[in-house]
Amino acid sequence: MAWLVVRLAISVSLLNTASAVFEDQVGKFDWRQQFIGKVRFALFDTHSQASKKLLVATDKNVFASLNSRTGDLFWRHVDKTGPEGHIDALLMYGQDAVVVAGNGRLLRSWETTVGGLKWETVLDTGSFQAAALVGVEDLVKYVVVLKKSAISLHDLSSGSQIWEENLPDSDTVQYQTIYSGGNGLVFVFGVVPNSHIVIVEYKIEDGEIMNKKSVEAAWMSSLESSCTVISSGILLCVDQITQSLYTLLLQSAEQTEMRQIHLQTLDLEVASGFQPILTSTQPNPAQPPLSEFVLQLSPDHHILLQLKDDFIATLRDFYPSYLAAFATSGERTVAAVMSPKNDTACSINLFSADTGRRHLDTTVIYHMDPNGGKPNRLYVHAFLKKDDSVGYRVMVQTEDLTLTFLQQPGKVVWMREEALADVVTMEMVDLPFTGTQAELEGEFGKKAAIQDGLLPMVLKRLSSQFILLQAWLAHLWKLFYDARKPRSSVKNEVTIDTLSRDEFNLQKMMLMVTASGKLFGIDSKSGTILWKQYLENIQPNSVFKLIVQRTTAHFPHPPQCTLLIKSQDTGLGNLYVFNPIFGKKSQISVPALPRPVLQTLLLPVIDQDYAKVLLLIDDQYKVTAFPSTKNVLQQLQDTASSIFFYLVDSSQGKLSGFRLRKDLSTEVIWEVVIPTEVQKIVAVKGKRANEHVHSQGRVMGDRSVLYKYLNPNLLAVITESTDTHQERSFVGIFLIDGVTGRIVHEAVQRKARGPVHFVHSENWVVYVYWNSKFRRNEFSVLELFEGAELYNSTVFSSLDRPHPPQVLQQSYIFPASISTLEATLTEKGITSRHLIVGLPSGNILSLPKMFLDPRRPEVVSEHSREENLIPYAPEMPIREEWFINYNQTVSRVRGIHTAPSGLESTCLVVAYGLDIYQTRVFPSKQFDVLKDDYDYVLISSVLFGLFFATMISKRLAEVKLLNRAWR
Amino acid sequence: MCRVRRVCVAALLLLAAAASCALDLKLHDDEEEDEDAMFQTPGGDVRVRVSGRALVPGVRAQDWVASARVLLDGDKHVGFLRDDGSFTVSDVPSGSYVLEISSPTYRFQPVRVDITTTGKMRARVVNYIKTSEVIRLPYPLQMRCIGLHSYFIPRETWGWSDFLMNPMVLMMVLPLLIILLLPKVFNPSDPEMRREMEQSMNMLNSNQELPDVSELMTKFFSSPKSHAKAGGGARGHRGGAQSARGGASRRKIKD
Repeated sequence: MAWLVVRLAISVSLLNTASAVFEDQVGKFDWRQQFIGKVRFALFDTHSQASKKLLVATDKNVFASLNSRTGDLFWRHVDKTGPEGHIDALLMYGQDAVVVAGNGRLLRSWETTVGGLKWETVLDTGSFQAAALVGVEDLVKYVVVLKKSAISLHDLSSGSQIWEENLPDSDTVQYQTIYSGGNGLVFVFGVVPNSHIVIVEYKIEDGEIMNKKSVEAAWMSSLESSCTVISSGILLCVDQITQSLYTLLLQSAEQTEMRQIHLQTLDLEVASGFQPILTSTQPNPAQPPLSEFVLQLSPDHHILLQLKDDFIATLRDFYPSYLAAFATSGERTVAAVMSPKNDTACSINLFSADTGRRHLDTTVIYHMDPNGGKPNRLYVHAFLKKDDSVGYRVMVQTEDLTLTFLQQPGKVVWMREEALADVVTMEMVDLPFTGTQAELEGEFGKKAAIQDGLLPMVLKRLSSQFILLQAWLAHLWKLFYDARKPRSSVKNEVTIDTLSRDEFNLQKMMLMVTASGKLFGIDSKSGTILWKQYLENIQPNSVFKLIVQRTTAHFPHPPQCTLLIKSQDTGLGNLYVFNPIFGKKSQISVPALPRPVLQTLLLPVIDQDYAKVLLLIDDQYKVTAFPSTKNVLQQLQDTASSIFFYLVDSSQGKLSGFRLRKDLSTEVIWEVVIPTEVQKIVAVKGKRANEHVHSQGRVMGDRSVLYKYLNPNLLAVITESTDTHQERSFVGIFLIDGVTGRIVHEAVQRKARGPVHFVHSENWVVYVYWNSKFRRNEFSVLELFEGAELYNSTVFSSLDRPHPPQVLQQSYIFPASISTLEATLTEKGITSRHLIVGLPSGNILSLPKMFLDPRRPEVVSEHSREENLIPYAPEMPIREEWFINYNQTVSRVRGIHTAPSGLESTCLVVAYGLDIYQTRVFPSKQFDVLKDDYDYVLISSVLFGLFFATMISKRLAEVKLLNRAWR
Repeated sequence: MCRVRRVCVAALLLLAAAASCALDLKLHDDEEEDEDAMFQTPGGDVRVRVSGRALVPGVRAQDWVASARVLLDGDKHVGFLRDDGSFTVSDVPSGSYVLEISSPTYRFQPVRVDITTTGKMRARVVNYIKTSEVIRLPYPLQMRCIGLHSYFIPRETWGWSDFLMNPMVLMMVLPLLIILLLPKVFNPSDPEMRREMEQSMNMLNSNQELPDVSELMTKFFSSPKSHAKAGGGARGHRGGAQSARGGASRRKIKD
């Protein structure tokens, strides 16, 4: 019964707090973009002419089907992250696609139209080498998988294993590639580096070794990309050192060593230091490959060669050329070659593979993005036109992971920015005012008011009002003009020039930094990419930190953002300063950072140009200021004694606090050591700098006030035990004052382990951990209060706080796993807070903070009811109405960014991972604007009705009075 | 009672100890089963395949399998659905997992799957509060769709029926109806009806003979004054209604 009451109480309280999406709001202010990642394999469906399918497998362990006409996803399968889901190979035959995943552990066959799984087979462990389709008598029936020490053959229709054989001498021979030409045999090639090549022949029916031979090849170190099989079973290899091609007839018993053909005899030469690459094509797995092949001699030199009667003939020399690829349609095989045209464009041409002749009218011009990278992959889809000539479409992938799909004669059909599949960090920046708005704002500038007298001010006001009137009239004219045109032709496209802040500052610029080093500026309202900038020479796994130094509020100074790029290995960093609205690199000189950067600190101190000062602390605890003008240095000297910062050294378990000296050197003032033998520091978080707390305390049921402990210098430190045994593992949390180093509170969660997700805000910390005893996720909330009286209510000083805060804690069961956690943020902090939780299922949950309140009572009392406290229940509810992204799931949520809007009720939320989802949440409902379902018709009809009713009754009354007077 | 229970617990503990010694899974349905002893961290490399079948009644599997996934403990292990709704999650080490089918459209009840170090499996109902409670489910898993996700809450719509059934409106409308309709129903000029009403009024204030206190007081204090005054008072007398006179005199007192 009591349980029922609690349930009832919860559901009643939910009526007030629920922030759900209404069905008519779908797509109104939210959008989702789905990505796949860097393409590793791409295959066009050549099964039928009309097919639009493009199958891709990417480095994000994603296997997807794209619509080649629009670039949209037909379907997408996201496997688990890490090497266990890594896609090793993608093969396609007819309607089926075979994928080898997890280092050759899983073999899956997919039905490509719907995207359903056909079968899945688990293979034995062993490192994956190669996979190929095997055809017998013109029919592809099998798939063969080569591992380091074994080879197995599987039926293509059911996945069942037909045979598996161990490879001979697999401990010395590195088996790397396989080949089958439809003649009932599978060849396996192995190499003993700098010694010989081993070729083993297997019979397809039963896996019997038909033949095994080894061929002398002292120059050979690896088979991959330097060897290929061409024509009817001729192994062709290329070697850079001896500058030669080598051929070997596979099925001849006589030939025991490879025939050498010097490249000089063909007037060719491999560029020094370049590993030449051989590319051949086998259009049908049941038939031997063509005798033509492409040899790449240097990064911009390809050559099409043909092997005929043991002689190699040059069909065509492509110089300069960046990329070359084969494609087959029907019986015709073509080679597409991309060669540079001028500085900004490349041309792609089609050449007939058997003759090397250029096809007429096949040129496609590919315009390179000046802010992008170079093209590095070419995927060609050839098809036969009605007049039997070969037409083609081409997909180009660039270094900055842009996929461009081109059609003759150079029309970009679609484009995908796959760098966005790996967003590392992001910020949201207010849009600038339009010229007129800025004019009006400028009028109230302090400088202007002092300089001018009364009359000029009046004139200025009149002129600015006139400009506003003008703008309004222009707007009206545009509305009128657009209204006359048919609806479809009116394009409301967002461009950088038309960009301006809206009434409630709901539209912002999303700055996204991706792991590949490409920066994006995205309009938060529509998701349109407004600018992109590829930063070259970014090392993989660099650490990025994005800092907004000057917002758009300081017209006419342009906004300024700084990106700190730090190499993971050396710790050396460099700064990239840019304008967040236009994406242009700023001309400001950047300080050189010769030493690894340990910590960055954005001070509230501003220079004369209104840019906030950024302090960079290097490994010798020296401080570099940016910008470092005289004015800034002067200000820093004045305020140095009140600038503190902390450093975390998780390898030594050390947290240390520093103070800035006047000469920009530092002194250690405190040190906290958390012994690394027992536990390691996992994460340290302060509070967000742009967070506002509206109320200093909470009014209790008995009308007294419980004051919050609002320490802006508080750090939350999460530790995890080094012992991972489920009985002894624990998660620790320390709350440390960043100025004094005082440990304000410390809590330990026994029998718990990470990954810990946590949010630190206002006077509370919420963290999630895995309870290894009960095998469930648990939320724990810590709230800090000063008590019934506030000590020094005017200003908070860490140095003068004699009373430790009261700490309240409560834990709850969360019936789902968690990917990431963030709290909503609003302009003034009046709106109640929600936690935004990213779930692995792709849903994003908006959980009212009310449920995470350590003062939730176990027994309901008069006071708790007065305070609207929900009675304690161990299990946290998850309601589907709280999923703010309804069915627009976000795969692999990695981070959630929240930003305040101009409306107090509204918080902007961006979830990023493999996908990007942007929406708005209203934690306390939309209390400051009319709801979008506000019934204008009803209210106006009631008003008019009343108006007319009074008019009519007045008239009637008059008539009646007159009649009475006459009587 | 208490003693009996303690004995029971002891017996169960013994049982649990025996089970853990055997290092085998005894699938008994008692509540006190100590699973932590049974599912020790895997020493050997047992990797099993969890399989089952998901059903959405009335919907062809092709229409939903492409967007669905099988997730074990978040996305620690991922499986995909075949065209007929069946699925396998390969390479799962021993342990206890919550298996759920994540589909943006259809809702499924999650299932807890326990795998012993020897590779034996069982499925049971997920209970996060009483984690050791065992309510077994069939294995291979049968996941049945329990409906569509309800992501949206309906808008508050405005209708005449809502408006009319509002208690405030009812309170206003009903008296209005009574005022308007009653005179039409009973004709006050009908003498029979009037007599009936008078009777009922008399019934209400039965003891007419008892003088009203206020009236008594007014008579006592203001009798000479009322005689002195002519106009209003006289008209009151003429009307003959006792109550009217009383009212008038009371007004005077107030003055």
